[in-house]
Amino acid sequence: MSAPTAAPAAGPVPARWPRLARPDPVALMALPAFAYLAAAYGWPLLVLLGHSLSGPDGISLAPFARFLSDPFSWRVIGNTVRSALLVTLVCLLAGYPAAIALARARGVVQALLLLSVILPLSVGVVVKAYAWQIVLRRDGVVSQALVGLGIWDAPQRLLFTETGLVIGAANVFLPFMILPIYAVIRLIDPRLSEAAATLGASPVRRFLTVTLPLTLPGIVSGVAFVFSLAVSMYVVPSLVIGDRYQTLATLTGRAFLFLRDEQLGSTTAVILLALAVAVVVGSTALARRLGGGGLS
Amino acid sequence: MSDPRLPDPGFLAITGAEKRFGTSAVLGGVDLAVARGEFVSLLGPSGCGKTTLLRIVAGLVAADRGRVVLDGRDISRTPPHRRDVGVVFQNYALFPHLTVAENVAFGLKAKGHPRAGIAGTVSRFLDLVQMTAFADRRAQALSGGQQQRVAVARALAVQPKLLLLDEPFSALDRKLREAMQIDLKRLLRELGITALFVTHDQDEALTMSDRIAVMNRGAIEQLADPVTLYRRPASAFALGFVGLSTRIPGLVQEEGDGMLRVETALGTVRAPGRFRPGSPVLLGVRPERIRLVREEPGLGANTVEAALVEVAFQGARAHLFFAGPDGDRTLLVEAPEIPAGAAPGVRLRLSWAVEDTLVFPAEPALRQAA
Repeated sequence: MSAPTAAPAAGPVPARWPRLARPDPVALMALPAFAYLAAAYGWPLLVLLGHSLSGPDGISLAPFARFLSDPFSWRVIGNTVRSALLVTLVCLLAGYPAAIALARARGVVQALLLLSVILPLSVGVVVKAYAWQIVLRRDGVVSQALVGLGIWDAPQRLLFTETGLVIGAANVFLPFMILPIYAVIRLIDPRLSEAAATLGASPVRRFLTVTLPLTLPGIVSGVAFVFSLAVSMYVVPSLVIGDRYQTLATLTGRAFLFLRDEQLGSTTAVILLALAVAVVVGSTALARRLGGGGLS
Repeated sequence: MSDPRLPDPGFLAITGAEKRFGTSAVLGGVDLAVARGEFVSLLGPSGCGKTTLLRIVAGLVAADRGRVVLDGRDISRTPPHRRDVGVVFQNYALFPHLTVAENVAFGLKAKGHPRAGIAGTVSRFLDLVQMTAFADRRAQALSGGQQQRVAVARALAVQPKLLLLDEPFSALDRKLREAMQIDLKRLLRELGITALFVTHDQDEALTMSDRIAVMNRGAIEQLADPVTLYRRPASAFALGFVGLSTRIPGLVQEEGDGMLRVETALGTVRAPGRFRPGSPVLLGVRPERIRLVREEPGLGANTVEAALVEVAFQGARAHLFFAGPDGDRTLLVEAPEIPAGAAPGVRLRLSWAVEDTLVFPAEPALRQAA
């Protein structure tokens, strides 16, 4: 073998494959996950979409028109978006400081904090929802505590209220806000905040002009995570608030399981999916724009 | 504490600075006074406490004890953003989400300078460090040397009373480093900036400083101008840390009139100093002070014979390594050129003036550390 041909990988290889069809080894690594998702998720999704668009005379947008013309439907959509936004907001306000604490902590403290964020993920959402039923009752811990503190005059029931739903759901989804923000903060050089201090920036100014802009990509992905989870939550509203408060997810479940109305179920499911996809795509685009050189 | 005889006894005065991290003492009561416009280096090996001292002055670390006074104001308890102390960090710490111009403007905005004047100040300081062409670039898109210049402009733009520099050249390659040292020194002199500079690089310290504080184990071993530090190191550690030297352990035989006769592995050596006979001492000689001689020189000189081991040609000069007291290459002579017949194995006669022999008390631990 002569020397020039000994290292075929080094130079440009004469293309036997057409440029677009040439197998990319990196892309191949994503193949198993892609194949699984295509079979287990993509195909059913197509079937669902087909259901929602099929009328008696073939393809039709009539099911959407019928659903969207009903004021009840708009209340359901309103419930869905409002509860998801409230849950996301609560998670952000509680999760951001927690993520900073997690990133600043060292050694055993950090390990314990990280454990306390991740461990609750291993407790099933049904268990948590039932636990919240007990906590939020009229004679539950929250009510007793608020009366004991003199904030409430008499015991009240938080169970079966939207407030109760938001509190319970925020508990379930909080780790999905903390972890992406923590991952970004960990990569930020602590010298940046010190440099800002030596340049005369007060702690508040340092936060607003250095820490916050640099953590925005983490905030955006945390918001995308929690919003898309909260907008489609099913178990928590079912157990904490019940049938009187319908969201797109619970309505989809009712349509398939109790009403046996596949048309309605497919329609609400597609609307829900469109909402979630819009938020995820929008926030990813936002993260890309804001994150342009956000991390060193 | 101010002495009226001196024009500016302590523009920056650090007194009794102490710091422990857990059980280990990082600084053990350091005093340091820096005059207005002076450039003082903190020179020492890693872990000697120099960076901690710098961070205490900046207000980024709280000292356990001690005071920091800047321009007559006690800033020991002042938070960093109210200290008027600028810092150039080792990794520059430029804001990655801002452009070069925005980085330089950051401090001006934070200090509430009138908006109208900021652009002018920014372009003036970018001009000073020759970075005007890069004003709209992101900080990350710059090379190490460019980032360093932006970091200097950013720190100077707010016109701090004191500039602290934490090993700002360590990430640059040698040629660039030497050029930037000269540039920076000239810039600081022109602006009359008082600077405290942390480095572990002796050449850097010798090149740039008005005075150098040699630090070891949380204390300042010697504070002196570069020439004095090189010619008259105050301790065996300072001798070893600044410049090259031959180090010869020995025992004092006799002392008279401030002149010692010391018994060493190379023979009897005379040195100026006062030690009791029988004391173990460490002798030091700078390589350029030793000459190769043919005949026995006069009384004012020490003469030894040693075997040449290796010759290292360095362009402008040559380093000759001889078998010395501690092993094969421990006796170093710097000669202007390679002498004729200098082949490994040849025994040559070496001589240096008695007053060029430095004497320190032998401290085995210190000798190891250096």
